[in-house]
Parts: sequence; C-alpha cells; structure tokens
Amino acid sequence: MKPDVSLAVGELAHLLRTDLLAELTGFRANVAAMGAAMLDMVAQEWDGAAARLVRENTAFGALVARGADLYASPAPGGGEADLRISALAAENDRLRGLITDLMARLEDDPAAPAQSLLADIWTALAQTVADRRIASANF
Amino acid sequence: MRDVTESLLQNYLAGKMPDWRDVAVTGLHRLPMGASRETFRCDLAYTDASGPQSLRVILRRDPPASNVDSDRRHEFEAYRAIYGHGIPVPKMILLEEDASHFDGAISLAEDLRGFHNSEYQFQDPAWADRLPHVAREMWTTMGRLAAVRVEDLDLSFTRPATRENTASQELEYWVANLDSHDIGPEPIIRAAIRQLRRWQPVAQKLALVHGDFRAGNFLYDDEGNLKAVLDWEMAHCGDPLEDLAWSITRVFSFGKNDLRSGLALREDAIRLWEEGSGMTVDPKALAWWELFICVKAQAIWNAAAHVWTSGQGREVIHAYAAWWLRNAQDKSALELMGKL
Repeated sequence: MKPDVSLAVGELAHLLRTDLLAELTGFRANVAAMGAAMLDMVAQEWDGAAARLVRENTAFGALVARGADLYASPAPGGGEADLRISALAAENDRLRGLITDLMARLEDDPAAPAQSLLADIWTALAQTVADRRIASANF
Repeated sequence: MRDVTESLLQNYLAGKMPDWRDVAVTGLHRLPMGASRETFRCDLAYTDASGPQSLRVILRRDPPASNVDSDRRHEFEAYRAIYGHGIPVPKMILLEEDASHFDGAISLAEDLRGFHNSEYQFQDPAWADRLPHVAREMWTTMGRLAAVRVEDLDLSFTRPATRENTASQELEYWVANLDSHDIGPEPIIRAAIRQLRRWQPVAQKLALVHGDFRAGNFLYDDEGNLKAVLDWEMAHCGDPLEDLAWSITRVFSFGKNDLRSGLALREDAIRLWEEGSGMTVDPKALAWWELFICVKAQAIWNAAAHVWTSGQGREVIHAYAAWWLRNAQDKSALELMGKL
C-alpha cells in the first residue's frame, strides 16, 4: 500500500493525539489516547513483524530439533512456508509450546548437553523479548 | 448492555431507599479509571428525615467480562474491612448485586474530589521535587497496611490463608487464572512457575493484601499527600510482601527508568515499607514474590487479551494493556531469573 503503512498509521496516531484528543475529556480522551498509542505500536510492528516471526521460528525450530536429537525423539516437523502473519504466529505458538515442554525436561537433566541446550533456549528467549520490545514500554 | 444514566440511577434509588424523597442524580459521567470495571462519577441529592442531603458519589459496575476475576461484593467488603483502621479509603454507601437493575452489579461509594490519581503526572518535571514525599506517602502507607492485625478485620469475604500456605495458594490461584485465559504458550512464565513451585516463603505475618497497590491507585493532593487508597478488587488475606513486590515490578516503572512506580529506587521503596510496617524484608522471600508478580500480572494481561479473543468484550483498554504489557512482563521475569 502507498503511502507506506507505517508512515500513514504513525501520522494518524499523531493527528489523533494532537487534534482530536484536545477536543475530548475524561473517559473519551483516555480511549483516544490509548487508540493513538496502539496505532503507534502498529506502525512500529508492521514492517518488521513477518521478518521477526521468521527469525524466531527458525531459531526455535533449530532448538527443538536439538532437543529431539538429544532425547532420540521424532523430529517435530515444520509448518508450511506460509508468510502470512497469522500463519507465522500460529507456527510460533506451536514452537513455543514445544520449547516450553523441552525446557521442563531439560531443567531436570543435569547432563552437560542438556544444560547447554537450556542455556541456548534462554538466550533465544531473551533475544525474542528484545526484538518484541514496544517503543513505549516501561521496561 | 444498557448505559448507566442519571434517570436509571435516580429511579433505582427512589425505589431502593424508601426514606429518601426527591432523589436527584446529576452530572453522571464515566471516569477513565482501570481496566477491570466501569467507574462513574455523579452528584446525588435527596431529602430524608433530617432534611435535604447531598452526596458526591462514585458508581462502579461489573462488566459481563473482565481481566480481573472479582466482583462488586468482594471490593465492597474489602473497603468496609479496612475502613477505620488507619488506612485512608472512601466510605462505602450501597451494594446492589441484582444485575437486573443495571445489567451488572454496582456499588456506590463516597467520592473524594479535588485530588489526583495519575501515575503519569509524576513524570511531569513540575512534580520532580515532590516525588520523594509521594514515595514516602505511598510505601509507608503500604507498610502500615501490612502492620494492621488481620485478627481485627472482617476478612470473611476472601479466601482464608495461613502464613505457611499463602504463597503456594496465591501461586496456584494465578496459575489457574492463567490456564483459564490461555492465549498461547508462555515458555518464560511457565519456567517462572516451575521455579516458584520449588520453594515458597512463609509469611512473617498475615495481612490484608491490597493486590494492586501502585502509583495510579491512590488519591493525592497538590503537595503529594496520600488521601485515599483505591481499587481493592483484588484484596485478599496473605503475605504483605506481595503488595511491596507488586509496587516495585519493572512494568510499573512509569518513567521508563529505575524508579519503581515512577517514584523511587527499589531499595528506597523497601526501606520506606520497612519503616511503615515495622518489619524487616527477607530478600529471598521478596525475590520470590517479585517473580510471582510476573505470573500474576501476565495472567491479568492475558485475561485482557482473552476478553477480546473470545469475543466477551471490546474495551479498548483490554487490547491496549495486553499489547503494551505482555512483552515487558516477560522481560521482567527474565531479569528476575537472571536470564536477561
């Protein structure tokens, strides 16, 4: 879409905040302010969301595969190469579920390979949190 | 769901209060307060045996779906329990649990006007020199709440607890809440839950825990004096360290810096709480409660998202809170587990 979606949505948030908000009070002003903040989040997320999800899914998939190797489990397989956000997010959820189960197992396994894999999972999770950070977040 | 209107409230009160004549409700409007309940302000006038009366009133209504699993009676009874015990709170006026009147239970309470309750106002440079005083007011009040003897309070409205079981009980309560509002796997929070289940602290004493004591949930005047503590819908009997931990969680660092609740450094908040409570904080116990707060908070943010996802509600604040807070809560858990 032209103009660029992030640009248009960001400007819409700006107008909502500077022009419309001044005309509102109380509850309605609060709703408008939150709406503007959400548009800012959309503007931030729009361009990079698919790339981030692909990056996360690739990293999580590799970690899950290492877990399957470690415990001689069947490979968990991968999702279809569908680049829609909804499909990538569904695959992300599937992999996060597998990661959750794998972490629980690794925590009870003191062997070095298990602990090494667990450490790498924590590193990957910290990276996803850094990548997903909302610009307006308190932390 | 019907709108709450002046005539609706006026007709209800005229029927509910037989000793009131010439009931008039004016100036009713919704306030931008909280994500879990609808809050309205109005003026109420009537005549009783003593003559003409006027009240400034806050009306809160339970919505069909909320991000907080509570109800009008719970908060109403929490306010009544602590009223008169040294913690400033508004006086409760009326509880109506029959949802047929307003399409949801309502409560009426005294409206303390002329004060502020904005967590964001503290980030205004004009308030910078008053922050130490506001911080002292907030955390010493929280400490005084911790020091109130539970034996002197009617806490029959809330789940019973012991010093030994409160940590485990609260954890399992919020895990169940998280489970019932599932919006997708949570590897970080699930790891936090496993860690928390391996050991739980014993409370130094039981207290009425407010459950949401932070900047934004108390009224203060222009000098920064705390005038009333609000929003008791998550109040329960438990370990008072829960309130301290909630108030210093990173997600409520409204200045986007190290000032907790946007007011004070973590160590200063703890010192003030100790001063108010007369207790000494056990660092290991507080660390447990801080990580617990990540589970509780994420359960609430997820419930906000779940309300939308399940189609139970479309309040903007629910979507906004989930978008804004969930990743920050994960980051907070990572920091507390030493994984950041």
